[in-house]
Amino acid sequence: MTDEPNPATPPPPPMPALRADSRDPQGGFEPLEGGCDLPNIMNKLLKRPLSLIYSLETDEDGRQILLRLLLISIASLVIFGLVVGTFSWQEQIWAAPLKIVSGLLFSGLICLPSLYIFACLGGLDAKFRTIVGVLCGLIALSGLLLVGFAPVVWLFSASSTSITFLGFLLLSLWIVCAGFGLVLVFHAGRALGMTNTAHLTIWCGVFLLVTLQMTTTLRPIIGTSDHLVNFQEKKFFLSYWREQLNGEYEERDEREEEPGASEL
Amino acid sequence: MPPPSSTARTIPALCRGERALLTSWMEDPQRGSLRICAILIIAGCSTYGFSIGLRNGLEMATYVAIKLPAIIFLTLFLNTILNGMLGLVLGSGLGFRQSLQFLLTGFAIMSVILGALSPVTFFATLNMPEPGAPGSMSWHGANLLLHTIMIAFAGILAHYRLLGYVREFADTRRAGTHAFFAWLAGSLFVGAQISWNLRPFFVSPGLEVEFLRTDPFDGSFYEAVFYALKNVSPF
Repeated sequence: MTDEPNPATPPPPPMPALRADSRDPQGGFEPLEGGCDLPNIMNKLLKRPLSLIYSLETDEDGRQILLRLLLISIASLVIFGLVVGTFSWQEQIWAAPLKIVSGLLFSGLICLPSLYIFACLGGLDAKFRTIVGVLCGLIALSGLLLVGFAPVVWLFSASSTSITFLGFLLLSLWIVCAGFGLVLVFHAGRALGMTNTAHLTIWCGVFLLVTLQMTTTLRPIIGTSDHLVNFQEKKFFLSYWREQLNGEYEERDEREEEPGASEL
Repeated sequence: MPPPSSTARTIPALCRGERALLTSWMEDPQRGSLRICAILIIAGCSTYGFSIGLRNGLEMATYVAIKLPAIIFLTLFLNTILNGMLGLVLGSGLGFRQSLQFLLTGFAIMSVILGALSPVTFFATLNMPEPGAPGSMSWHGANLLLHTIMIAFAGILAHYRLLGYVREFADTRRAGTHAFFAWLAGSLFVGAQISWNLRPFFVSPGLEVEFLRTDPFDGSFYEAVFYALKNVSPF
C-alpha cells in the first residue's frame, strides 16, 4: 500500500464553502439534529453550539432558530433578573429584569454592526443572518449559564447587605458567562472560515466594555434609588464602582464590629 | 466483577476506586447509588462533626453533627443546575445527573475518610482542656488547625480519586479535567458561603453555643475575608 496517487482515481471534490474540517472538537460544525424545538435548541446550545450556526448559514428555517435563541436569551435574563431583584425587592423586582434584558439586548444591538465588519475584516464570508445568530447565541448561552448561577446569586443576595459586594459578584459572574459566549463567537468565526481572529479579540473587548458600562448607565440595577434610572449623572463604570467601594468601606469603619462577625 | 450491592460492601469498593462500581452507577440511573452516597455522607460527616463540636459539650456536638452534612447537601443543591450546564458547555459529555452523581461520589469518599478519622479527632478532643480553662485560646487555635488539616486532607484525597473517575468517563480527558475543576471551584465558592451562614462550628472563646447565630444571613464569607485583609493591609 503506497501513498502515491492512483491515476484512475477521480480528483477530490472541491472544498465546500463552509469549512466542515475546521469544526471544533467540542461544538461540532454539522447539521442540526433533532429539529428546531426549544428544548433541542437549548440542549444543542450547551452541547454542540456550532450545529446551530451551521443551520443558520445553510438551512431555510434559520429564522426559527434565530427566534428561539432570542426567546432563550430573554427568558434566561428575566429569570436571572428576578433573582437579582430579590436583593432589594420593592420596584426592583420588576425593574432589575427589565433593565438586564433591555440593557443586554441593546448592548448586542449596538455591537452587531462592528461584529459583522470585524468578522469580514477577518476573512469571514457569511450571511448577515448568521452573524446575528452568532450574537444571539452568545447572549443566549451567557443567559443560560447565568440561570445556572441564579441559586448562587440568591444565596449571596439573601446573605449580604453590601451593594458593592453583590455588584462585584454579579459583574464577575457576567464576565465568566460572557467568556463562554465569546468562546462560541471565536469557534463560530473559525468554522465559518475566518483566517484572522485578531479583529474578533478587539470586538470581544468592546462588547464586554459596553455591557459593563451598561450596568452603570442603567443604575441602580441592585439597591434602591429615588429615580428608576439616572441618565443625568454620567460616569465611567470603573470610577463609579471605585466610589461605591470607598463609600461603603468608610461607612463600615464607622460601625461597631459585632461579636461573632469573623467567626466560623 | 459485579458491583457490590450493600452499603457496607460499597465502602471498600469506593475506596479502592473500582471502576465496575461507578460504571454501574453511571450507566444505570438507579436510585440506590444516590441513597448509598447520601447515607455515607450523613454517617461520615455527622460522626466527624460530632467530634468537632464535642469540645463545647454534647449540645454543640449534636448541632455540628447536623450542620456538617447539611453544608454538603446545600452546596450540591444550589450548584446542581450550574454543574450540569458547565459539564455540557465544557464538552465533557457529562450532564446534570452525571455531574450530581460524580460530586456525590466525591463527597461520599471524603465523608468515608472523615468518618474513619473521627475516632482520632474524638480522642484529640477528649485530651483538650475545657473552653474557659487557662490557655484555652491557644487550644482553640490548635483545634481549628487540626480540623482544617484533617478536612483538607480528606478533601484532597477524595477529589484526587474523583478526578480520575471524571477523566475516564468524560468524552476527552482534557474536557473531564476542565469540568472537574469548574465543579470544584463552584463547590468551594458556594460551600464557603454556606458554612458562613451555618456558623458556629468551633465557637470562638467568649461566644455562646447556638445552633445558628442570631444573624446567619448578615454578611458574607468573602466580605469578612476582604475586610480582614483590608484591616491588616497598610494600604
